[in-house]
Amino acid sequence: MVDPKRRNLSLPRIIAEAISIEMEREERILVLGEDVGKIGGVFGTTRGLLRRFGEKRVRDMPISEMAFSGMGVGLSMAGYRPLVEIMFADFIGVCFEQILNAMSKIPYMSGGTVKIPMVLKTAAGSIGSAAQHSQCLWGTMAHLPGIQVIAPSNPYDYKGLMASALESDNPIIYIEHKSQLIQEPGTFLNDRPVPKERYTIPIGKASISLSGSDLTIVATSALVEESLAAGQLLSHHGISVEVVDLRTIVPLDLETLTKSVAKTERLVVVDEDYQSFGLSGEIVARVHEELDSSQIKQCIRHTMPDLPLPAARSLEDAVIPNRNSIADVCLHLAKSS
Amino acid sequence: MELIEHYKLMLTMRHFEEACLEGVPTGEIHGELHTGIGQEAISAAMAGSLRRTDALVSTHRNHLHAIAKRVPLKPLLAEIFERSTGLCRGRGGHMHPFDLENNFSATGIVGSAIPVALGYAYAFAIEENENIAVAIAGDGAVNTGAFHESMNIAGAWKLPLVLVIENNHYAISVQSADVSATSTLSERAAGYSAWGATVDGSDISNVIPLFEEAVEHSRTGKGPAILEATCYRFRGHYEGDHDSYRSREEKSKAQEEQDPLEITRHELIQTGIATDHELEILVQESKQNMLKLLEDIRRDPAPDPSDVLKYLYR
Repeated sequence: MVDPKRRNLSLPRIIAEAISIEMEREERILVLGEDVGKIGGVFGTTRGLLRRFGEKRVRDMPISEMAFSGMGVGLSMAGYRPLVEIMFADFIGVCFEQILNAMSKIPYMSGGTVKIPMVLKTAAGSIGSAAQHSQCLWGTMAHLPGIQVIAPSNPYDYKGLMASALESDNPIIYIEHKSQLIQEPGTFLNDRPVPKERYTIPIGKASISLSGSDLTIVATSALVEESLAAGQLLSHHGISVEVVDLRTIVPLDLETLTKSVAKTERLVVVDEDYQSFGLSGEIVARVHEELDSSQIKQCIRHTMPDLPLPAARSLEDAVIPNRNSIADVCLHLAKSS
Repeated sequence: MELIEHYKLMLTMRHFEEACLEGVPTGEIHGELHTGIGQEAISAAMAGSLRRTDALVSTHRNHLHAIAKRVPLKPLLAEIFERSTGLCRGRGGHMHPFDLENNFSATGIVGSAIPVALGYAYAFAIEENENIAVAIAGDGAVNTGAFHESMNIAGAWKLPLVLVIENNHYAISVQSADVSATSTLSERAAGYSAWGATVDGSDISNVIPLFEEAVEHSRTGKGPAILEATCYRFRGHYEGDHDSYRSREEKSKAQEEQDPLEITRHELIQTGIATDHELEILVQESKQNMLKLLEDIRRDPAPDPSDVLKYLYR
């Protein structure tokens, strides 16, 4: 039965609501980015903020990411809490310097005397836009010490983690998934109702999105939903899957992760980011450092290969993990055990 | 500030840098060291019209700017000498000093100070106060995209950003004249609706009024300013630089004709403000003070290695 009180909000509206609540609570939050003002963001995640908070606090920027990401650093030192939007994660290359050498490092370089309470929000992941507009890159960002990296997977978490990010005194990269930003409301598998009121979700806490006993799938962002769908497919084969949603990539919630793997003894890491030198390898290494070999019977990665994302759908489908490919990998694992 | 006060400040700056040089052969400063010896007039001139509440974002060659911004010398020198009592507890080192009490910070990446200063300028603009943000750039930094992006935004929104270009003519070995599309760097100001001027930055009496004018322009809401001050870096780009890109003749000529301390000393004597003897006493006093400071910080301990992970997150 449909709950009549249930709000049927799109994900961008939920994110905009979270930011708005925080801006109401804390007047030092400023929003800077391309198209964040008049049109409220290309996905609508800042819609209504300009009208509500005015141009001083919500500012449309020229295409000068290096300048305005650096402004975020300067504003932080001047006592503000900037939310800087880099429209697509793919554009981070043009302003990487300020993330790599200022935002992430100043708190440490200053010996803890300077805080950078800056949130860099960006949309990542595939929407069929090929090599320069569909990358994840969270592994690249998570590689840098000093920043925390958040990648929610469902509307409830997007809202709560945005509140936590804007409340935190640490520099944070908040990564939305483009396909989820354009997803029809009410179609998420993890469809927990999103309250109108403010709430927070602790940074650095993974969640068990699906409990199971035969194997653990670790996923993040949109692939959590695909893993849940794979879990449904696998249940028809009598395989009970546990899905761990990382929610936060840095800090990594190793405790939740290892607990699950210790229980199921089988680990499948799915990741939409490039395979090598990134999140999936890191998870495998950390879990193995934590558990002894008798506790892990099988371990496999299922990720985007090390390849620029091709444009044609037939090619894209061949490389980005989805519910069917995840289920196949898990089935193969179950058969070989 | 009287000229004699500026002279004393330049002495402090010169002797501070000379104290830093002491730490290189001993290994107390075990990484790169970039000194501003020969470029003191620009920083000392800025000290006269900067307020504590103004922000200054500096570069890899930042010690003189820190002194101009009244960053306390002891923790500054201690940081450069990698001591636990340093401004940043030994985490920053000489290229990354931070002192937010005095709104001073720096970055070791060429050009990257400008966007950060722009952030301060934006803050001051929305607060509608009279503070200004100063970004320091060398002749190398003005060729970065960060310069263009930042100056354009500052110009579009009339933000109180003063860009001081210390044009010592060399980006390490590459000569500005060989890679710049304009014959002066300040004429680029026109592209950003900014105030712009070029001045001989070795003579503090030239720099003071022009820096005041730039500051006044920005403080009164007229938008950004670019002041290009030419100068000569007496040392190599860093300590250990073979410096083969500049001829011996060029260097000795510059040291003879463009030493800011000598130029001002001459002026103080010529105008009857002080005698040669009186100035010599100031020189000796300044040297002694710096030696004492160096001795002091050398007694301070190195940071505790067991604390190395501290201060990464809050």
